[in-house]
Amino acid sequence: MSAVPVPAPATRAWAVAGLLGAAALAALPFFANPYLVATGLTLLMWLALTQSWCLLSKLTGYVSLGHVVFYGLGAYLVVVTWQSWPLPLAIAAAGALAALFAALIGLPVLRVRGPYFVILTFGIAELVKYSILAAEAASGTASRILFGAPDLIVIYFAMFALAAAATLLLVVVGRSRFGHGLRSLRENEEAAETLGVPVVRYKLLAFVLSAAIPGMVGAVMALRSTYFVVGQVFDPMISVTAIAMALLGGGDDTRGPILGTLFLFIVSEVLWIRAPLAYMLILGAVLAGFVLVAPGGILGFLDGRRARGAGGA
Amino acid sequence: MSSIVDTLLSGQLLFAALVTGSLYALVALGLNLVYGTLRMLNVAHGDVVMLGAYGAYWAFSVGGISPIVAAPAVAALGALAGLAVHRGLVRRLFATAGAGSTRLEGNSLLLFFGLSIILQNAAALAFTPNARGLAYWTEVYHLGNVAMTGNRIAALVIAGATCIAVAALLGRSLLGLSMRAVIEKREAATIVGIDVDRVQAISFALGFATAALAGALVSMLEQISPFTGFPFTIAAFIVIILGGLGNLFAGLGAALLLGALETYGVALTSANMRSVLLYGAFVAALLLFPKGLFARRARAA
Amino acid sequence: MSSADSAPLLEVRDLGKRFGGLTALSGVSFSVAAGETVGIMGANGAGKTTLFSLVAGNARPSAGTIAFAGGRIDGLSPDRICRLGIARTFQIVKPFPGLTVLENLRTAAMFGRAGLHDRREADAAAMAVLEEVGMAALASAPAATLTLAGQKRLEVARAIATGARLVLLDEVMAGLTATEVGQMLDTLRRVRDARGLTLIVIEHVMQALMKLCARIVVLHHGERIAEGTPEAIGNDPRVLSVYFGTAA
Repeated sequence: MSAVPVPAPATRAWAVAGLLGAAALAALPFFANPYLVATGLTLLMWLALTQSWCLLSKLTGYVSLGHVVFYGLGAYLVVVTWQSWPLPLAIAAAGALAALFAALIGLPVLRVRGPYFVILTFGIAELVKYSILAAEAASGTASRILFGAPDLIVIYFAMFALAAAATLLLVVVGRSRFGHGLRSLRENEEAAETLGVPVVRYKLLAFVLSAAIPGMVGAVMALRSTYFVVGQVFDPMISVTAIAMALLGGGDDTRGPILGTLFLFIVSEVLWIRAPLAYMLILGAVLAGFVLVAPGGILGFLDGRRARGAGGA
Repeated sequence: MSSIVDTLLSGQLLFAALVTGSLYALVALGLNLVYGTLRMLNVAHGDVVMLGAYGAYWAFSVGGISPIVAAPAVAALGALAGLAVHRGLVRRLFATAGAGSTRLEGNSLLLFFGLSIILQNAAALAFTPNARGLAYWTEVYHLGNVAMTGNRIAALVIAGATCIAVAALLGRSLLGLSMRAVIEKREAATIVGIDVDRVQAISFALGFATAALAGALVSMLEQISPFTGFPFTIAAFIVIILGGLGNLFAGLGAALLLGALETYGVALTSANMRSVLLYGAFVAALLLFPKGLFARRARAA
Repeated sequence: MSSADSAPLLEVRDLGKRFGGLTALSGVSFSVAAGETVGIMGANGAGKTTLFSLVAGNARPSAGTIAFAGGRIDGLSPDRICRLGIARTFQIVKPFPGLTVLENLRTAAMFGRAGLHDRREADAAAMAVLEEVGMAALASAPAATLTLAGQKRLEVARAIATGARLVLLDEVMAGLTATEVGQMLDTLRRVRDARGLTLIVIEHVMQALMKLCARIVVLHHGERIAEGTPEAIGNDPRVLSVYFGTAA
């Protein structure tokens, strides 16, 4: 009886590196200045957003260009319930709201395939944005100013928890039977269904799971800005950035988003303050370039080199 | 209630709807050709409109050339750009399409989205992100109690005439027939001896030209910014999804319908609702036709 | 034989399917007993693959009923039907290209009738099937790298790995060389006998069909025109007139 093939021991190295990184991030607020802590916060935010995006789009192949809608809904909830709901409740509710939204639109939306799904998700995010803008304009709410937000350190650790949760979720789902079912339907949905995978249910579950954490991320980030602007929390560039990070990293497990996020984050930190337009241009170039030239991302490139190095077979 | 009826019967709004609809029809026509050839969702199409608008804007502010006079030149530049893109990008896309083609199709939208971001931000870097407007032919003419500015009449006439001309080309000429054949079924077109590469290049050139032309017209009518193009992309997709790919007359109808929806919708509610209506129509169209455009074409066998 | 043994495993009654104006199947009835190997024969467009799609749940019948192990299955979703014990292969193979051969079978073992939720158990069961079909050496190969013959074999292995009782094989010999046909035939007979499978086989390769099947159903323009042993079918005047014009 032939032995079942065993995965490469390289996964140990990745796990160790990941834990070390997490430890460093957890310790950061205790020895760094507020500027660095804020930077770390942004990094954690992107990790959480990219990991949760991958949970849907890398595993099922349904590429969403509307990921920001969950973030925006979460942020909006916190702002609307400001000072009337206790914050932990508001943040949890933000996650629940995002998940509920996903559950409500999921069935019709997931019937749409391929590139149409991509633009549909984009359209939905924009529709929600403009609807809220129109509603606010109609009710005469010009802008909102938020007083009394918690300290940076509290926000930092809340985001750390979310990033850790997003990573853990992706790892657990990726290794589970559910995750294998998702990958199967990504590869060929009709064949997967014929082999017993409950594709409709699974797609919906992945969609809902991918929404909860971005909702809470949006809620937490709302605490950072004292001046709330609807257009900002529904900015499609947030979706695009998460996708670019995931694409840059490659693969369909947690390694890709972590690599891609780190890489692009460094680029953005350097450029964002000096030249935001140039940064966005580079973002667009990363997106277009990787799709065209290296759709497997960094991981794909590394895997290719390892295969060639081993001499094939 | 009566004010709603008054609004719906307003000749003023009808004129506005026609102008908007004709522009959408023109942009959708171009996208029909590009998408039909490429089979990939070119979400950067509206940015060609934007570039055409800037072209006409600069011609006017620097050279004093009226956008109407500049329009054919802008369209010609658009055609050249289309040819260049076809040579440079599309050939390469089809070359890589062999290996891992399904992955590319799925990701092709991201590719064009990336290109759109590049174009928009390059334009913002070059022209600043601020909105600009030009004032040209703003004299008002009256037909009954409908007041129409000269620039809008011109836009309607030019857009309408171009749509009809291109539809005639596609419907009546041999070139048009081969273009429609390539849009319908590329492989079959090769077999019957059509030079697919040449036809695709022409489709691209024509698609970009009409988009640039629309942009020149838009420059007369609204303020333009590097981000003006995107709503036109959305509108064009709505038109194609509702009208069907390659089906130009249905597309014309759909475009006018969309123009009406937007114009009357805003009049009945508020200006803030413009984007809500547009994206609402977009989402609805996609949800109603989940297989996108291909299921709507008459199946041959 | 007890009455339970003689109850058919699959019973198709008055089955019909229309696609818009096209009638793909009409009034088709037959049954398959447990352990039988039944062949479906017919020219292109006769409705054979449509029949499989209806049984496996990939499409809904326009008329008629399908019963499996005594229960109605028409109208159920394909994944539900698979869990009940029916698996099919596709005429144009549908592998999971980015997954390895083993991972392809793991899906079947996890989600099919076998329902092995634990990854190691599922992989072990998958390896067992790969051994039976002679593909164990390719377990780590990405499915996309297989030859056509390999992918056809994978398609069959995957269906078997679901633990199904009834397997629908749709032209698994198409495109294979004479040697490959012989190998596939051996594999099918071996696996069928070892696992006590019931098979329904669509085939154009006549010698394979005749060797594998105890009974053959002939379809023409969506209707059943004949049914019987391979010898009987070979001499049936209706079948001969359809394939060769009026009987010689």
